[in-house]
Amino acid sequence: MWERTLQDLIRGLRANKSDESKFIAQAVDEIRREIRSKDMELKAAAVLKLTYLDMMGYDMGWASFNVVEVMSSARFHLKSVGYLAAVQSFNQDTDVLMLTTNLLKKDLSSTPSDIAVTLNGISHIVTPDLGRDLSPELIAMLNHSRAHIRKRSILALYKVIVKYPEASQNGMGRLREKLEDQDSGVVAATVNVLCELARKNPRDYLPLAPQLFHLLTTSSNNWMLIKIIKLFGALSPFEPRLVKKLQPPITDLISTTPAISLLYECVHTCIIGGMLQGASGYALARTCISKLAAFIQDADQNLKYIALLAMVKIVPSHPHLVAEYQETILASVDDQDISIRMRALDLVSAMANRDNLQSIVQQVLSHLVRAGTSSSILPTAAQSLAQHTVPASPTSVKPTIVPTQSPAYRLVLSQRILDICSQSTYDNIVDFEWYLSVLVDLAYVANVNIGSKIRDQLVDLVGRVKAARRYAVKLMVKVLSDDTFSGDGGDESSCAEVLWAAAWICGEYCSELTEPQKLLTYLLQPRIANLAQDIIAVYIHAATKVFGFWATELAQRWDDDLLPEIRNVVDMVIERVSDFNSSPHIEVQERRTLYSCSHSSGKIFLRTDLNLKTDSASKMLLHHHSTQSQNHGFLKACILFGHCSLHTNLILWHLLHKRACLYRTGWI
Amino acid sequence: MIHAVLIFNTSGIPRLTKFYTPLHQAQQTIVQKIFSLISSRPAGLCNFLDAPELEAFLGPQDDADERWRVVYRSYATLYFVFVVDGAESELGILDLIQVFVESLDRTFENVCELDLVFHFDEVHHILAEIIQGGLVLETNVEEIDSSVQAAAKARRESFTSANPLSLGVGGGAASRNGGLQTPLGWLTGKITGVGAR
Repeated sequence: MWERTLQDLIRGLRANKSDESKFIAQAVDEIRREIRSKDMELKAAAVLKLTYLDMMGYDMGWASFNVVEVMSSARFHLKSVGYLAAVQSFNQDTDVLMLTTNLLKKDLSSTPSDIAVTLNGISHIVTPDLGRDLSPELIAMLNHSRAHIRKRSILALYKVIVKYPEASQNGMGRLREKLEDQDSGVVAATVNVLCELARKNPRDYLPLAPQLFHLLTTSSNNWMLIKIIKLFGALSPFEPRLVKKLQPPITDLISTTPAISLLYECVHTCIIGGMLQGASGYALARTCISKLAAFIQDADQNLKYIALLAMVKIVPSHPHLVAEYQETILASVDDQDISIRMRALDLVSAMANRDNLQSIVQQVLSHLVRAGTSSSILPTAAQSLAQHTVPASPTSVKPTIVPTQSPAYRLVLSQRILDICSQSTYDNIVDFEWYLSVLVDLAYVANVNIGSKIRDQLVDLVGRVKAARRYAVKLMVKVLSDDTFSGDGGDESSCAEVLWAAAWICGEYCSELTEPQKLLTYLLQPRIANLAQDIIAVYIHAATKVFGFWATELAQRWDDDLLPEIRNVVDMVIERVSDFNSSPHIEVQERRTLYSCSHSSGKIFLRTDLNLKTDSASKMLLHHHSTQSQNHGFLKACILFGHCSLHTNLILWHLLHKRACLYRTGWI
Repeated sequence: MIHAVLIFNTSGIPRLTKFYTPLHQAQQTIVQKIFSLISSRPAGLCNFLDAPELEAFLGPQDDADERWRVVYRSYATLYFVFVVDGAESELGILDLIQVFVESLDRTFENVCELDLVFHFDEVHHILAEIIQGGLVLETNVEEIDSSVQAAAKARRESFTSANPLSLGVGGGAASRNGGLQTPLGWLTGKITGVGAR
């Protein structure tokens, strides 16, 4: 039998790159044979190869029993292989884990090398059951003679506590003792574990504050100091006296430490630990922010990034201090590094207020515009930006190249604009007409799936802000008359939902329209068949309202010369609406039916006016009745007719009034 | 805590994958995703990967403690990536990556990618002296190195006692006595310095 070593496997993989899967299939077959061998060396070698393949994505769960066999070898070099395989491939559901309890116990009382490997393994594979069974041994191991073992036990105990919380009752006392351990590495490991535990249950660890404070003021191990500071950051929100006690040493550290990592953690902890309140806190806040601002302006991009992270957290409590650095922060939104841009966006969103909202939104929108889409709408968007921007901001937008314009990023930008502006029910917006135009621009340039949110905001705004309705209607007419959206109804990122809003707004506030009959042609043009069904439905509904409004208006200043015009419009409307006869969507059908009912009746009356024979007119009427009554929508249409077609009723009324026809009673 | 340690090369092939927190999605996909985002970043940008495409993986936006961070450094043809949460100091992790690389360098002497390829289990053992269960065990390179050497010595002694015929023979014997070469014989060859690379 040709036995291949791990090295052979790796060499073979490298040599067979072209038919890798075939080679691997062969290798796995060999491994399957080897792994069943009684020879532990061979078995272990097979397990090692399998572990390597696991890294490449080939599942080794089927060999878990063999892995346990290798773990139980008395030979340390083989045991290591077994534990490595276990650590890489076992998960909480691996059934062989329940076979390992005694093995782990045995290994925990073996040589220090065995113990080390076992503790490392336990940290990975411990389950609640294993935790329960092993915690006595582990807690005893906290007092092992070797520091290395004590360190590992402490870290392993943490994972055990996570899976089996009851272990903390017995373990906590011993853990606390370890803070006084002779070995500084052991103390550091203890602090590490306490930091993790305290983040979940801060109050339970408040009693440790004095010991930790002592360590803070006496240690020089930067790693440990960082962890202690972080620990205090978790504890101090729950103990105001702790804040007072901590302010002096932390202030001291901030001004003296050469280690930037420690400096940053101190600043960060001050912010999140609630240490910046009150008069003494204010001075500390100024110091923190000036340090962070220095980081943002530093050439080192890493410092810039973490400074932006921390600044976001200080904005809620000290917005004016952050606002001093507004220019620098806004400049970061244009940074070529997407990580920095993302965090800068967070920060400007938090900083947005009435004064700077427009410049912020303008800057973010310009990112979307600058994306270089092939849309011909770009000039319009840029124009409206120019028209509606309040030219007060001194911020000069640097012409930096924005390299990545991935859809995910564009979505973030668009979403961010919507969120900033709608915060606290649009509290920050001063000029609603400006914002309405921003929403429309966003619909043009976004190119991501944000249409429904824009639609919702448009409708919401127009409902809330009465003064903006006339302008809104003007904008919406422009949108409806534009071809951009109606063409590609199937494309998710076309923001066609904004047409829904446009039609609905025009219908609802049709009194603000200047040329209703012209809008009708747009609302009912054949192209709309490409749109989504719910949009078509609202189009037809809006067209009803617009027509009704217009006809009422005409009726009030009726002149027989207007008859040809109204007849043309009615003809057009009926013709277009009947195109939707075959629409499968119930909403469209309903609207269509309603429309054709009301308009056919209108049409009949007009035709009657033109001296058609009465009986043929009534035949037409009856014919219309019968065809409609087959349609379920007819009945509904009649009810709707009476309810919402007030305008249409008025038309009829006026016409009848002039001509004193008697059809009405029979019709309704 | 540290949730994952990844090493992959500039073509995206993983050289080491260690997950301290099990992932709910396929490990390969996340490695590939991180690789594609990192490889498109030019040098000189910050070492923190924070792209919108990773939002789902990184966790909730609002809770800074729970949100994960991807910290990476590139060395020659390799990317070293650590995925950590709010309990770890960002700059500290950058230092830790450096410590890891230095530890590899101590053991392999002028470590290069090929060392990681052929001795991937050694790399795991070194990493295990620095991080256990996602928590930092030791940060001093000297300490780490002595622990690594102690463990390697124990493995070597265990091997030689199990395979007495290979004692003192090393890699040279492997070629002379081909039939005696055991599946883990390469282990001896490396540690005695013969045919190490």
